[in-house]
Amino acid sequence: MKNFKIYLSAGLLFLAACKPEIHNPAPTKGRADFTRYIAVGNSLTAGYSNGGLYLAGQLNSYPAIMAKQMQAVGGGTFNQPLFAAGQENGSGYLKLTGFDASGNPITALDTNHTAIRGILPVPGFGNVILYTKYTGDIENYGVPGIKLLNITYAPYGNLNGFFERMLPGNAPTNTTDYLDFVTAKSFTFFSDWLGNNDALAYATGGGVGDVLTDKNVFAQLYELSIEKLTASGQKGVVGTIPDVTSIPYFNTVTIGAILAGVQKANPSVQALYVNALVSGTTYAPRVATANDLVILTFPTSMIGTLVTTPYGPLPYGLTPYTPIDNQYVLDANEVALTRDYVQSYNATIKSIAAQKGLAVFDAYTYLNNIKANGLVVDGISLSSSYISGGLFSLDGVHLTPRGYSIIANEFIKAINSTYGSTIPLANVASYQGLTFP
Amino acid sequence: MKKILLLVLALIPVISFAQGFQVNLEGEKQIGMGHTGTGLLQDGASVFFNPGAVVMLPDNYIQAGISPLMFRSVFNPMGTDVQDHVANKVATPFTFYAAVGPKNGWWKLGMAVYTPFGGLTDWGDTWAGKYTLESLDLKAIYFQPTLSIKLTDYLSIGGGFVYNHSSVDLTQAIPLTNSAGQDGQAELKGSGRGYGWNAGIFMKTESGITVGITHRSGVSTTISNGNAIFAVPPSLQSSFPQPNSFYSNIPLPSTTSVGLGFYPTDRWTIAFDANLVGWDVYKALAFDYKINTPQLQDSYSARNYQDAVSVRAGAQYKACDNFFIRFGGGFAGTAVQDGYVTAEAPDAPRQFVTCGLGYKLASKLDLDVSFEYEHVDARTQTNNQSQLAGTFETNVYIPGLSLAYHW
Repeated sequence: MKNFKIYLSAGLLFLAACKPEIHNPAPTKGRADFTRYIAVGNSLTAGYSNGGLYLAGQLNSYPAIMAKQMQAVGGGTFNQPLFAAGQENGSGYLKLTGFDASGNPITALDTNHTAIRGILPVPGFGNVILYTKYTGDIENYGVPGIKLLNITYAPYGNLNGFFERMLPGNAPTNTTDYLDFVTAKSFTFFSDWLGNNDALAYATGGGVGDVLTDKNVFAQLYELSIEKLTASGQKGVVGTIPDVTSIPYFNTVTIGAILAGVQKANPSVQALYVNALVSGTTYAPRVATANDLVILTFPTSMIGTLVTTPYGPLPYGLTPYTPIDNQYVLDANEVALTRDYVQSYNATIKSIAAQKGLAVFDAYTYLNNIKANGLVVDGISLSSSYISGGLFSLDGVHLTPRGYSIIANEFIKAINSTYGSTIPLANVASYQGLTFP
Repeated sequence: MKKILLLVLALIPVISFAQGFQVNLEGEKQIGMGHTGTGLLQDGASVFFNPGAVVMLPDNYIQAGISPLMFRSVFNPMGTDVQDHVANKVATPFTFYAAVGPKNGWWKLGMAVYTPFGGLTDWGDTWAGKYTLESLDLKAIYFQPTLSIKLTDYLSIGGGFVYNHSSVDLTQAIPLTNSAGQDGQAELKGSGRGYGWNAGIFMKTESGITVGITHRSGVSTTISNGNAIFAVPPSLQSSFPQPNSFYSNIPLPSTTSVGLGFYPTDRWTIAFDANLVGWDVYKALAFDYKINTPQLQDSYSARNYQDAVSVRAGAQYKACDNFFIRFGGGFAGTAVQDGYVTAEAPDAPRQFVTCGLGYKLASKLDLDVSFEYEHVDARTQTNNQSQLAGTFETNVYIPGLSLAYHW
């Protein structure tokens, strides 16, 4: 009987070991070489999230996620200019602290443990926030705020604190431009997602305070940068520029919602007024429509407050004499203008990528498709909605870790289909969306 | 006026479970022979296999058996080399039968308790499909009093009433992250009941071949007051009110079987069974929550199962008066159409082989052991609803043991 028990337990152990395994061919690098992968880009590339650049966001940047997956096909170490412990909150970032009685989110800026080392006033430019220097190796060259327009501008290292912290020298003495800096050390593969800010900075400012980068200048700089990135025959992947109207920053506070709120208190109000682009640089007040996009940070409490005018005090936003300020609204004509520029930029990106045989992630089409249809991944229902959508962080522009993992997978799919590689996809379910208190 | 930011959390838990497996483990003698028995007179398990045959049993029976079931499933997310395995857990389908009547009389009464449906899968909280399912523990226990009547020496009929007691405990992650970085959790837990019937005809032909035909009805099972437990970040808890309950109806399918028994020599018994399982009734799974909020709506998810067929064959060799060797096997089609495969029952066409030994411990006491190995084919799928894409493959190992006392 004792033997019987031993046989029985041995048998059960044997069975427990008989797990099925699904065998796939080993991942391959195809025609690409991922030994040193570098990421070129702006805030999206840096891992910017919730209105700031901070350690937790950096660790979930899409290049970091891609590099982790590339390790299965010969990818090397991927260093990022991480903020150190103790200064892990980097620039500081927004946190969701709760919801008010109407269900509106309440956010607060976390300014503890930041890496701010000083403020440099630059005459004719403004104040530049400087951060603790990063001195190690870098593979993720994402610089929040950078435009394609800036990549050959030598003094740029004195005007952008996120770039300045990567450079050995201190502002205002830097003279290395961004393109030279990222290509200084040899590399075998690159991702390039530059160009968003050439349109986005104009759009988020409501069409004032910044200008769209000229289409021809964009084309020249894009060609120049790709020539340089592929100078030694490197392969790479590029991303197109999303339609700025596909992000929650422009789709959350709507004219309709504001008007409904006003009418609840005062049913006689018929319309809101905005100061809208007529043509060229001519602006005139008119009745706001659903095609005018109000920015996420518009303080709606301004609506209805009395403004002094030549005609006496009038309520803000409710008369043609007191329209909502230009800076808060990307009006219909500005939307069309921005879209026209973005489509031109994207035509440039696709054409140059095609000439060089580079992989392309068409973020424009991808994010517009999500805006129209939503996205379901691994049982998670995602959309372009603010907070509830799960893709975009609290700033309404940048992504959550889950959003970045989805972008990383799209870049990987583009690489795999262009170069015949089989980089494994990242597990989207293991990256989190927004954090709720 | 406050800042207007429309917050609509469209995160509805669409909890969904298939019925797990139809558990074909209703008697160790029969499992040993490929789970055939509709057209045989083996023992008290005939109450399940064919109520019509019960009265033809030469003896009265009281017997019980257990078949510890090890379900080993793996999921490989599409485009990755990841292998997500279910935890090692052992489900315990069991049987109890009694068949009693006058010796060679015209009637016998039977009672059966068995577990024809169930599932025990635990994928854990880190796998790619955690938002579709973490774990499922589903049990359906049928209680079946039965009457079997002999019409002639060659023909008998029988029928029984089925009472089903089911329990379910299902967990799923909710994609709402708390400040500690953890997912929300949903758990649906409850028990329900349903009713059905079971009838069969048994014939001994002049050529010596025995024939059985049975129908086990579908059992519409209702869980009327299950617990719906949602743990989400505190700032969102009001959207998932607690305590809450749910109502759901699960139509467990019918099975129609034809079985044949052949006796080429007095040492050999050969059996064939064919089954048609009416999974077609399983159109959708719906959960009706007692308290709804804009975020927690009743859920409805299409299943659209189709009827499935299985064929089985087995043989028994009587090595000596008190020792029997059995073996068998079969094939089963899948009830789940492409696009509807879920982690709860990663279904696909399957093949199985079985073997068994029978030993008469005493003239009135049978000890039977059986072993079944079942392979569920690898199936690569993108689920229509969850978009979970990848390949499932499953091996099932089932040892079994029963004791039958007969007089």
